[in-house]
Amino acid sequence: MTAHSPAPLQVPVKQPWLLLAGIALGLALIEAALWWIATKTPPDIILGVVQKVFYFHVASAFVMLLTLTAAAGTSLYDLIRPDDRADALARSCLEVGVVFALCVLTSGPLWARKSWGMYWTWEPRLTLTLLVTLLAVAVIALRGLAEDPQSGRRVGAAMAVMGAPASFLIHVAVKWWGGAHPQVLQGGGIRSSEMRVAFWLAVAGLITFAACMVVARFRDLRLQDRARSLRLNLSALELRRGRA
Amino acid sequence: MTTLRLTWLLLQKDLRIAARSREVLGFTLLFSVLCVLIFAFGFLQSGSAAVRYVPGVLWVTLLFASSMSLLRLFAAEEEGGTLPLVSATTAGTVPLFLSKAGVQLVFTTLVTALVLPMVLLFFDARLDAPGPVIASLLLGLVGQSVVGTLCAALLVHVRLREVLLPLVLYPTVAPLVIAGVKVTSMALQGQSGQGTTDWLTLMLVFDLVFVAASPWLHGRAMQR
Repeated sequence: MTAHSPAPLQVPVKQPWLLLAGIALGLALIEAALWWIATKTPPDIILGVVQKVFYFHVASAFVMLLTLTAAAGTSLYDLIRPDDRADALARSCLEVGVVFALCVLTSGPLWARKSWGMYWTWEPRLTLTLLVTLLAVAVIALRGLAEDPQSGRRVGAAMAVMGAPASFLIHVAVKWWGGAHPQVLQGGGIRSSEMRVAFWLAVAGLITFAACMVVARFRDLRLQDRARSLRLNLSALELRRGRA
Repeated sequence: MTTLRLTWLLLQKDLRIAARSREVLGFTLLFSVLCVLIFAFGFLQSGSAAVRYVPGVLWVTLLFASSMSLLRLFAAEEEGGTLPLVSATTAGTVPLFLSKAGVQLVFTTLVTALVLPMVLLFFDARLDAPGPVIASLLLGLVGQSVVGTLCAALLVHVRLREVLLPLVLYPTVAPLVIAGVKVTSMALQGQSGQGTTDWLTLMLVFDLVFVAASPWLHGRAMQR
């Protein structure tokens, strides 16, 4: 080793203790919900054990709605007032939203096979979820395929914003098209108290876990940004040193 | 010069180019004929009533044909690298956007003028009251052109945009296709009234939302 070798580059990165604690809490809640669903809730009179998909299915749909709405909102903010944090948040929400949309789209047919007698039917909410998921996947793909990251960011944000009114109109259109989805929460709620506990445990668990996933991805994107700017600084420094 | 005047000048320029070369329009028309033929091969069996396929074939053909011409909508500006210059000389991106949407509307209207009679002829359908169908086609084409132009404009600097354009466009215009198919099938069955009006209102709302929002979104996304 010569005396000229550069000092090891150390960048302090804080340990995300709060995030880890949140993930642990989310997992514990999900575990509790699973245990409660398996041991305490009664099987449905008509549907039997298949009805138990309901808890995680509806909770995933909640999370999907929340994250995708947040993605559209933060994208709109980023378009009006460009902000790296809003952009990172929009991206993380969109990605987590797609994960939970896939959960909804796989758990739904399991239930539908028993209840409606078929895995898939062209029913409003199913159609809407499928179309919105495809749109979200397209926006994520677009970010990766843009020629330069900055234009990809603006284009992706514009697409995400465009998706919001489109989703609303898709919702109206497919609703008029014909419908059969059970309206559990709008129509009287869940009657059995054991079922209610299971449902809200699942909702709390999935929302906590999803929020942690969003934060983890957000942190990851921000660290990538930071690493990129540090690398730029470093090469600028080396250039200057070489010139001197 | 006002935005409208600039839009009109750009629109005239684009239409003149299209009228002289006739490439994109010609191939789009050819494609739509092929599309109807393929649908006929796919759906028609001897002995079954062909009329019930008319709404679907009509609207899907129009959607496919419109994505064909959308892919070439910004080609001239892109190949010449003149997109930033156009928006610089026209004080913003709104005239550019509106003129391109106008070009797309003219193209798709011409395609419709060919496809509608062809579908009715090939699928042995009679349209006794064409009013609602024509209204739905007008609303549908305006909405498809505006959303399509927005998607095409946003995807100009994106790789694999030929693949991405349908992926973004088709889910977004799904309400227009559903409504259009509904209105057309009701008109073919000789029904009219509240149902038709509701669907046309939905299409109108779609158009108003995207005509208002798209130029703004395009401008925001394109600024350097």
